Parts: sequence; structure tokens; C-alpha cells
Amino acid sequence: MNVAAQSEPLPARTRASSATQWAPALAGACALLLLAATAEIVLDGAVGHSALIPKSPEIAGWLSGIGERLGFRIFLIAVLAFSAGYAGLIAAARGISKRWAITLIAALHAIVFVGPILLSTDVFSYIAYARMGVEHGLNPYTHGPVAIAHDPIYHYVGPDWKKVATAYGPIYTLISYPFGLLGVNGAIWGMKLLAMLSSAATLALTWRCARVRGIDPVRALLLVGANPLYVIYALGGAHNDLLMMALMMVAVALTFAGRDGSAAATVVAGALVKATVAALLPFMILARRSLAQVLAALAALALGAVVAYAVFGVDGVNIVAALNRDAAFVSTDSFPTEIAHLFGKPGVFPIDHDLLKAALVIIVLHLLWRTWRGYDWVAASGWALLAISVTSTWLLAWYILWPLPLAVIARDRRLLVATLAIQVLFVLHQTTPLWAPVK
Amino acid sequence: MSTLEQRLQRLPPSLRPLEHERKGSGRLWRVETVALLLVGLLLAIATVNDVVLGTHTNHRLVADLRTWRTYTGNNYKNVSTEQDIYHHTTTDVVCGNTVPGPPKERVQICLQMTGPVVRGHRAARGGWYLPANTEKNLRRYRYGCFGTTKAQGACPR
Repeated sequence: MNVAAQSEPLPARTRASSATQWAPALAGACALLLLAATAEIVLDGAVGHSALIPKSPEIAGWLSGIGERLGFRIFLIAVLAFSAGYAGLIAAARGISKRWAITLIAALHAIVFVGPILLSTDVFSYIAYARMGVEHGLNPYTHGPVAIAHDPIYHYVGPDWKKVATAYGPIYTLISYPFGLLGVNGAIWGMKLLAMLSSAATLALTWRCARVRGIDPVRALLLVGANPLYVIYALGGAHNDLLMMALMMVAVALTFAGRDGSAAATVVAGALVKATVAALLPFMILARRSLAQVLAALAALALGAVVAYAVFGVDGVNIVAALNRDAAFVSTDSFPTEIAHLFGKPGVFPIDHDLLKAALVIIVLHLLWRTWRGYDWVAASGWALLAISVTSTWLLAWYILWPLPLAVIARDRRLLVATLAIQVLFVLHQTTPLWAPVK
Repeated sequence: MSTLEQRLQRLPPSLRPLEHERKGSGRLWRVETVALLLVGLLLAIATVNDVVLGTHTNHRLVADLRTWRTYTGNNYKNVSTEQDIYHHTTTDVVCGNTVPGPPKERVQICLQMTGPVVRGHRAARGGWYLPANTEKNLRRYRYGCFGTTKAQGACPR
């Protein structure tokens, strides 16, 4: 063996050893950045109502003396710092132990849990619909919160949603009913707890599914649980998307365990929380081709429809009408709106909605064909969820989280890259106020 | 083999479902990847374009508010702005009370701002008044047009 051949691997070994040495330090610094950014948002948010913090009962008043009222500039800097920390953390994920990753994610959850409701009034709508049912004997599928204008929760419902009946599934509405009995503050804490437990379930199942597929579970856990949109937007706003995602991951885990019927029934249950998750069902059925799945899905759907009809009448069953209504909404952050601006239009028009629906149908048909031909159904489901959020004219931060748990366990790495790229673009779009001159 | 699987086996090979994807030439994968990259590029350009548009708009709005306060001498917080989003001009209208009082509950003066931002201000070329308690800046409510808006017929009389 000559000297040159002997010495060749050494630089590579040195680089690897140097990277291993640096990984824990980088991970530690990134974790501190994540914790500091989250604490900054929560402490400033606890001061009270601002452009980013909805009007809310003082549930985090004991934190209010430390920060300053949360403005766009500080918030966006914190989100960018969090995002940078997240990227670093994922890069150093191989050097991170299981216990360390779980501790970090638990700490992030705890900080958000004790703080105020961040960035969205949705949770107050959930509570308003619950109180309409249990306190006022009104059907949330036929009335908007304006029907209980004298109720203390009404004051906190977002102005756009005061006249709008619920678009959530009947199972979710039934789950939320007990919270309506707890008073406004009790209901908020209940919803926060539900969001946190749903998140814990999603993360535990992501871990489990990653292990089944031979994927590094620590990296998978960090990719979902330390994601800035997941922690600050979804968890911070106590969104019911977390419950939907938990049920989605239960269905995936059940499929991996060979329990096809239970998996299909769980997807239907998830769709009766929030309809979007129904996108998984055709891919799951095509991939597994099990009669048990079809029968279980139909049985779960029939049971759900009977319960919904018994409790809410025909309006509780007709979720499609509510979805069609919401699909017509337009938000400034949606990609179709941005593309309309790019082509010199002031916004999206009804014809654009039709074009977007056609594009979505083509994408789903292609994914169904691919799944039929052996493509990973988990990846196909993730692509479908990503396509739904990208083609939607009503895009909110927590919508682009739907495909994330699937993306980290999918066999197609392009899905994870695409999901994270879409999230980067979303965050970039949020930064507009940062570049404006100070008044 | 179940009845369903037996039936599926009767399909032509190209239509039969598969348990795992065949290792092919990767042509489909390449086509999909190129399509994804093109869509990603479009979304990235649209996002950056929107950020730039939004930044320019914010920059303009800050200058508009400053200009209104300088022209009227009133340092009010509640001043409303309207942008010409339909014709994509940079002409904005800024309205605010002429005397102290709750927003829009006094006679309002509206200034039409045009042109570039120069030293944090824009040029106010004209304007009009709105009666007290007028929620919307509609042509039918306007009176006393002055400057260029008079020739434009921005007021009904």
C-alpha cells in the first residue's frame, strides 16, 4: 500500500469527526434560538391585544409585565430567527439524542401553552359554536356566532366569522361541546390542552411511523415538532388542524400495522373533524386494495352521518356546502392571489377558482394513477394535501402543515423538500412589513 | 388470492396495480421533477413580486400619511387611505377629519397623492371634502373639489 493511498481517507475522516464535534454545539445554539424566539413572542403577546394578538380574555396576564406589545417587526424577526434555528437543528439532527429532542419540543410546547392565543381568532369561533349548542340550544350549522351576540365569547370572535355557521365536521363540534360548559376562560384552556395533546399524539405517531419505515425518528420528530409554523401558528392558535393531523397519523400508523379497516375508519373520523384529511382515503384504498377498508370507511361514514343528522339535522351532514362556501374565500397570502398580482390582476376571479379546481383534479388523478402503479401512498397523500393548500385561494399558515408529518415519513424525498419550500415562501411573504420604513 | 386480486390479474399488464413501483428509466420521475421545479419557480417569483409590491405600497402609504399630516397640520392617528388597486396606478387618496373628533364623524378632507416618494413625502395634487358621518369615499358624497381633481370631475357638483 503506498503512502498516497493510505493518506487519502484522512481528510474525509477529519471532516466527519469535526462535523460530529460541531453538531452538538450547533444543535444547542439552535435550540436556544428556538426557545428565545418562542419566549419573545409569548411574552410580548401576553401584554395584550395588538395587530397580531387577537382580543382575548386575560389568560396569560401573569406574564404581561415582562414584554412589550407584540408588533410586526419583533414578531417577524422572531419568526425568522426561529426558522434559522430550525434549519440549523435539522442540519445537526444526526448528533441529537432522543431525550434531548423530546425535551426541546416539550419546552417549546410548554412555553406556547402558558401564553396567550396567538395570531388567530379561530379558537374563539370553536368555543362560540360549542356555547351555541350547549348554552343556548342553537344549531352551529345553521347560525353564526352573531346569534349569541349577548354571550361573553362573541366579543372575541373574528369580525369575518361572526355571521358564518361552522364549517367543521360534526365529530369536532361534538368534541368541542363539553368545552362550552367550562366558561370562556375554561374553554380556552381546554382548547389549548386539546391542541397540545393532539400535537403530542401527532409527534409520537410520526416517531413510530418513521421507525417502521427505517427513517431517523429524531430527525422526523424535529422536522414536525420544532417547525416554526407548527409551534407558533398551529399550537399558538390552538387550531383544530392539530387534532385532524393526529387522527391522520393514527390512520397511517394503523395501516403500517396492517389494520386496514381501522385505518380507513379513522380517516373518516378525521374527515368528520376537518374534511381535508379525507384526501388520504382514495390513496390508502388504492394502495392496500382491501375490501375491509372500503367497508370500514362506509360504515364509519354511515355512523357519522346518522349521529350528525340526529344531533344537527340535515345541515350537520351537508359539509360539502360549507366547504364550497369556504373555498370561495380569498386571502392575501394565498399563492393564487400572488400569481394574480404577478400577472397584473388585482386578485382572483371566479374563473380562476374553476381553473384551480381543474388543476387540483388533474394532480389528484395523476397521483391516483401513480399509486395504482405502486407509488408510495403516504407520499401521494402528502402531495394531495400540499396541492390542496397551494391551489386554495384561502391559505393560512396551518394549512401548509397538513402534509408535513406525511412528508417526513414518505419514500419520496421531493415531498419534504417541496413542503418546506412552500413554508419558506409563506414566511417570506409574511415579511413584507419588515421592509417598510418605520413610521 | 382474493377474488378482487384474481380479477385485477385479468387486466392487461400495463393497467394492473403494483405492490411496489417498478425500477424504470426514471423518465416519469424526471418529468415530474421538472414540472415541480417550474411550479416552484413560478411560486417563488410570484412571492418575491408580491413582497416587492407590498413593500412599495407600504412605503407609499407611510409617505401618504405623513404628507396628509403635513398639508393639513393635523397630527391625527385615525386617517384612512385608499389605493387604486384596479388600475395599478400609484394614485392614493387619504382622508381624515378637519377638526378633532371620532373617526369620520366630522367633515373630512381627502387629498389625492401621486408621484414618487421624495424625502418621505408625496405630492398632493388635489382633493375634496366629505360630509361628517360619511363612511365611504364615494363620488356622490364629495364636494369642494380642488386642484387637479376639479378638472377630473371627481366631485358631482
